[in-house]
Amino acid sequence: MSLGATLLLIVIGFGAGGFGALAGVGGGIIITPLLAIYFGLPMYQAVGVSLVAVIATSTATSALYVERHITDIRLGLTLELGTTTGAMLAALFAHRVNRGTLALLLAGFLLTSAVSMVRKAWSSRKEERQTEIPDYRPRNYPLGLASALVAGGLSGLLGIGSGPIKVPVMYLFMKVPLRVATATSNFMIGVTAATSAYIYWGRGDVHVPVAAPVVVGVFAGSMLGARLASKVRTFYVLLLLIGVTSWLAVEMIYKLATGGFS
Amino acid sequence: MRRDDRNADRMVALTLKAGAYVAFSLIVAGLMLQSVTGSLKIATVGLVVLLATPVLRIMVAGIQFLREHDIKYALISAGVLGIVALAYILRVQAL
Repeated sequence: MSLGATLLLIVIGFGAGGFGALAGVGGGIIITPLLAIYFGLPMYQAVGVSLVAVIATSTATSALYVERHITDIRLGLTLELGTTTGAMLAALFAHRVNRGTLALLLAGFLLTSAVSMVRKAWSSRKEERQTEIPDYRPRNYPLGLASALVAGGLSGLLGIGSGPIKVPVMYLFMKVPLRVATATSNFMIGVTAATSAYIYWGRGDVHVPVAAPVVVGVFAGSMLGARLASKVRTFYVLLLLIGVTSWLAVEMIYKLATGGFS
Repeated sequence: MRRDDRNADRMVALTLKAGAYVAFSLIVAGLMLQSVTGSLKIATVGLVVLLATPVLRIMVAGIQFLREHDIKYALISAGVLGIVALAYILRVQAL
């Protein structure tokens, strides 16, 4: 890796980690497509690096939420039974999935994330109140575990955190407060991504010269972002991320249509 | 939230922080060393620490639950650990 490429990878990690933490979304979603589209990395290797970056975001930011007692460790561990199983199976079979199919799935998930961020941006226009977390008891564990299995599978296939699946399920169906759901999802993605990262690593799909600088950037970005999150208007950060994810989805589809992934 | 959760929270947060700082320092040092020696060994060790941190975090939570005699969640922690261990064992079995 040339010095220029290494620095660029640090900047990419910093941007993904920083804006992700500012907006309270993972940020892992943009690393796989960036590496696959602009760095010419094969899909499997882009996913391998992104998984390591996802572990970095989770590790760097979830300590903060755990300390503030927002994360529900019991709920997180329980759902991790589902996410790790899904992640393991997906990682084991990833090479059997056609690269074009992976690219299409990723484009679909980028669009899903963009839509979920539009909703988040809409609700963040109202002033945010940092109220006390109300008492709650998670319900509907079977549905929670089933979605966790799917979220883990997507994570292992695409190198993403799959917050846009877990957070709505915990909030809407398990009746967990939104802040708790977001923090707990963020907590879970570390173990989930690690499970599939071991398999990608064992197969030689985690390229250290690419992963190391990306992780450095992600760490610095997400630690800074998580600390500034309360001082910055989430709305504008979300607008930027909506733009980036939509653009990447279009680029993925374009590259797919022109045979770039075959 | 139960009162005794505060202890588990503190231990888990500490593990995550320690893992993050150690991995980050090693990778930064490794990248600098690479420009001198050309070897990425230290940076690789940093990545390994990063990959090990989530597993350590499950163990810490599991031990904390055991100490609080919360058998149900100690078992759940062990279950997650078992799945992660299985993935680690299967890591070279590319299907």
